[in-house]
Parts: sequence; structure tokens; C-alpha cells
Amino acid sequence: MPTETPLVEMKLDSETRPAVIDLLYRMADDGLIIGHRNSEWTGIGPIMEEDIAFSSVAQDKMGHALAFYNLLHEMGEPDPDQIVFCRSAAQYRCCSLVVLENFTPDAPALGPDLSNNPTRDRLVAHGDWALSLVRQFFFSEADAVRMAALAESSYAPIANIARKIRGEIKYHTMHGRGMMKHMGAASDDTRGRIQMEIDRLWPHALGIFEPTKYDKVLAAAAVTPVEEELCRRWRGDVEPLLESAGFSIPLNAKPCHGGRSGKHPPEMVSLLADLQKVARLDPGAKW
Amino acid sequence: MTDTQWPIYEVFHQSARGEPHVHVGSVHAPDGDMAVLMAKEQFARRQACVNLWVVPMEAIVSTPYEDADMFEHGTDKSYREAFGYETTKRAKAVGDTADI
Repeated sequence: MPTETPLVEMKLDSETRPAVIDLLYRMADDGLIIGHRNSEWTGIGPIMEEDIAFSSVAQDKMGHALAFYNLLHEMGEPDPDQIVFCRSAAQYRCCSLVVLENFTPDAPALGPDLSNNPTRDRLVAHGDWALSLVRQFFFSEADAVRMAALAESSYAPIANIARKIRGEIKYHTMHGRGMMKHMGAASDDTRGRIQMEIDRLWPHALGIFEPTKYDKVLAAAAVTPVEEELCRRWRGDVEPLLESAGFSIPLNAKPCHGGRSGKHPPEMVSLLADLQKVARLDPGAKW
Repeated sequence: MTDTQWPIYEVFHQSARGEPHVHVGSVHAPDGDMAVLMAKEQFARRQACVNLWVVPMEAIVSTPYEDADMFEHGTDKSYREAFGYETTKRAKAVGDTADI
């Protein structure tokens, strides 16, 4: 059993501290946003069992995000509710992979009369499960690589969280790998759809590991390896998995960057409008 | 109508090492590996769990309900029921059987 270090603020020098805070925002925002996106399927996912499993994974990711937001709060950042409900898109640090809608680009836009839950109504009619599944697979593998590295982090509060959540992430990767294996052995239609999403999402998946100006500082302080190294490990896991399932790896893909500095795909704005809807109605309300 | 569902797997849940695996329900899944993954979220998310079994429903051989009369005692065999044992009483006293 690893010994439990309480989540108290450890001494960080003035150079490492902002780097750690940035890293925490990146991980927390990724978790919150992919959790939000995946939870859009709750109740309408294909196959009841998979609906529940996928929703549960979404809940796990929300929980991981909260753990990181709580740590940020202990380091002097605003409380988690404020961080989530009061920031603009440009203040978020998530990667583009988690922001993308659960639709193919050619899905019709929202109808004007869908007043109750427009996102859900549109998802029922035009949702692209293949996209969500491939995204979750890519993200879980990245999560596993990152948490394995962070479990050894020199910054104990992060290492503690990483060790705690690795069990859940193990399930996420088992789920993703099982699904990809089966999709690879399924009909031409299924394999075609999955391959299309692999090709489309690959640049966004590479963008999970967008380098930041803090990479060197974090690596030098042994908080986390540089993003490029994590990406190399991720590819070392993901590429053989895809190939053994009969899928091909996109060549010469250009990573989709920007999220780590607050430049997001346009759908980030509508996502936050959904996520912050109630909070915006009555800022500061208690419930 | 043809059944387009995946096959059914019966799920057995173990709450701690050494405890019996208890039947808790079933899931649809394309194979055993996926059945375990599905069963984990259906049946192990609200209670302690250390191990799950899944068994294809078709692998289970059962007695027909029409033959349930074979379990009835034709004559008084209360002498061989276990209620007289001290162990049974003690187990009941600490509530062992209540949870089963």
C-alpha cells in the first residue's frame, strides 16, 4: 500500500508552481469536458448495458476532474463550482478531442423548435456513436499513460490522485480495447465507420499531447515527463492495438493544437452554454 | 420475430475473497470478455466487489418447475433438517443468514 500523503500544499518554487497549476487545469478540464460529452449519451446509448457502462465512465471522469479542481482550490485557485461555471471558453485548457460534438460534421444543426433538451433530441436523430467510442478509446489510453507517469510524480498531491484513479482508468481502457477489438471483427459497415472516425480524430488525439511552455519546467522538477514523451508512449500502446484489430493508422497527420492555450473548436461555446446554463440564470445562487 | 439481442450471460458477484459468488442478475453481451465489462458496471458499482463470474445462460442446466414436486418430502423427515445444530443457531443469532 502506498502511504497516504495528505493533500496539503507542498513547497513549490515560483517557477514550478504556475506550471503545476497549468497541468492541473489541463487534466481537470479534459476530464470535465469528456465527461460532459459522454454523459450526453446517458439514456439513449446503444444497448442498455453499454449505455450504463459508458455513463459510468463519464461519471468517473467527472470525479477525476473534481479531484484535480479540489487540489487547485487548495493551491489558492477559485472553488470548483466557480472554476467550472464562471470561466469563458478561452479560459479552459482542454484539448480539442474532448470538445468535439457527438456528431459527424454533416449532421443537421439544431431545429428551432427543440426547446426542452435540444442537444439530446439532436443526438437521438443524428448522434454518431462511432465517434464517441473512438474518442473514449483514444482518451482512455492517454489517461492510462499519463496517470502511470504521474503515479511517480515528485509532487505528492498529484501522485496520490493518480494512484487512486488508476483502477478506474484500467476499466476504461479494458472497455475501449474490448470495443475496438469487436468493432474490428464486425461487418464492413461497422469497420468502415470506426476507421473513418480513427482517421478524423487522430489529429485531435495527437493534440492531447500539445506541448506547453511549462513542459521543460515540469520535467526538470520530475512532476511529469514532457508531452512529447507521453505521446510516444501513447502511440506505442494505441498503434499495435488498432493494427491487431484490423484498423490502419493515419499517416502524416498534423496534430490539432490550440486547446492548451484556450483556442478551442467553435462548439466549445455551445458546450459551455449547456454546461453553464443554470449557473448563468442566477450567478451565485445556492442550491 | 428473430431475437437480435446478444446472448445472455448470468452474473455472479463476490463481495470478498473466500465468500461465495452470488447470482445477481444477467447481461446481454457479444462474448464473455464483454459480458464481464458490462457486468462490472451493472452489478459492481453500488456494492463492494472483488470478483465477478459470467456464465453463458445456455450453459446452465436446470430442473423443470413441473418437477418441483420431487423436492417435497413425502413423509416426515424433519429429523434430518439442520435446525437442531448449535452452529445454525449461532449463525442465525449473529445475523449470518439474514443477508443471504
